[in-house]
Amino acid sequence: MKTLYIDTSSDYLYSGIVIDDILVSEIKNKYEKDLSKEALPKIIELFEQAKITPKELDKIIVVNGPGSFTGIRIGITIAKTIAWALNIDITPISGLTAMAISSSTSTYKMPLIDARRGYVYGAIYDKDNNAILKDTHIELKILLEKAKARDIKAITNNNLTINLEIEKYDPDILKIVKYFETSKGINPHLVNPIYLKKTEAEEKAGL
Amino acid sequence: MQDIYILGIESSCDETSCSIVKNGTTEIATSTATQIAIHENFGGVVPEIASREHVKNITLVIEDCLKKADMDIKDITAIAVTYGPGLIGSLLVGLEAAKTLSYIYNKPLIPVHHIAGHIYANSLVEELKFPLIALVVSGGHTDLIKMTDHFSFEKLGGTLDDAIGECYDKVARVIGLPYPGGPKLDELSKQGNPTYKLPIPLNDDSYNFSFSGLKSAVINLNHNEEQKGKTINKADLAASFQTVAVKSLVSKTKKALLDNNINNLIVAGGVAANSILREALSNMCKENNIHLSIPPMCFCTDNAAMIAAAGFYAYKLGRKADYYLNSQSTTPLQ
Repeated sequence: MKTLYIDTSSDYLYSGIVIDDILVSEIKNKYEKDLSKEALPKIIELFEQAKITPKELDKIIVVNGPGSFTGIRIGITIAKTIAWALNIDITPISGLTAMAISSSTSTYKMPLIDARRGYVYGAIYDKDNNAILKDTHIELKILLEKAKARDIKAITNNNLTINLEIEKYDPDILKIVKYFETSKGINPHLVNPIYLKKTEAEEKAGL
Repeated sequence: MQDIYILGIESSCDETSCSIVKNGTTEIATSTATQIAIHENFGGVVPEIASREHVKNITLVIEDCLKKADMDIKDITAIAVTYGPGLIGSLLVGLEAAKTLSYIYNKPLIPVHHIAGHIYANSLVEELKFPLIALVVSGGHTDLIKMTDHFSFEKLGGTLDDAIGECYDKVARVIGLPYPGGPKLDELSKQGNPTYKLPIPLNDDSYNFSFSGLKSAVINLNHNEEQKGKTINKADLAASFQTVAVKSLVSKTKKALLDNNINNLIVAGGVAANSILREALSNMCKENNIHLSIPPMCFCTDNAAMIAAAGFYAYKLGRKADYYLNSQSTTPLQ
């Protein structure tokens, strides 16, 4: 089983290739403005390091949100195009779920992505990564209210001021890939970002 | 000679388009997902919504185009893609898809400037004859370009402020026509007469244009008539606006042709679909014995066939990009 993992939902490119339960190549790099330029060449390097061609892939797992709108589209477009060309399915996953899976804390987990102006993309998972509160775009203070009275850790890569123990997000790509080992993928045409937030124009127009 | 098939991808604004063109001159198939109906709700293109639509449509238009052409991507010679100028979030969807296809199928990747694409839309009608003057008229551009050979572009002049298409859409909005207003304004003007007096923009010796003053003049005229309690005759105002806007475009184009002793004119861009402009340019060219080429309407608006056509000539010149190719919101024509 050969799986490609892609997450471009933040300023980082998190990507890796897993072959039969072994992470054979991975990249975790911050690119900011250059992500659209760097993402594909770096993924090509992963294939080279893994000594496989894309045609040998069985599966692609891609983070379809939430996070940077532009970033998500970069990873999804690459994933969709590879999967369409190879006629394989894609397993789209939540970046917040990936954050929860990567953490091995035995407490509740609250992955957070800064959505600015006091808002975050967040969720609450139990120690076994079952969602207690599903992915949502929410005011941080309201989310913190919901997390109260639980033994809980925040997982984030952003500088958020919160009165909780914070674990820095470091994706465990092997663990994420294994977690979705048996999940059924979907046709690449149907894979689209989950933004969790309407565009400003739609909000203003009340659409 | 072996036939060269270029697969082109265009996503710089609100059309997701894929096309296959043979030898730079023959359109084999095109598939375009247009977003006009979506953006109508907002009175103009909303960049974030455009990007969201592109990512939904990109693999669908590629698949549909290949199906229409009854071709396998393995039969394609190279992949051409618009890298700029345009809306950055929109551009990068087409760009990432093109880069990925190029890698998976091991096909050369050819970067195409969006305006070069508009110009090369003409080669889908007839081969370009050099030297030529290209008048590029669209929502983002109003340029006069001299070409002495393929991909040799010399900008003689351009707009100093608003692009002509932008001006058309804004004037249409003042008159109360829904987005996209340009074509509707063109239709309406045929029912009116140029009775309102408007200034001819930048009536000077340069090859430049200026349309913001004309736009303001229309807004002021409309406002003043309202103040006086008069109802504006919309058709007459549309006709008056078209008359001066087209006069400006035609006179500067004529000057560029005569000054440079060039007798080939090609017109490119969305506004090339404007009927009054087509007629006025056609008359001017007849009077001055100039060969005129204007692509049919379907190649005037954004489409991938023009990108594939330009991609053919770029390919012949050995222009290739690596996988670090990035999209550019603004970039000089090259």
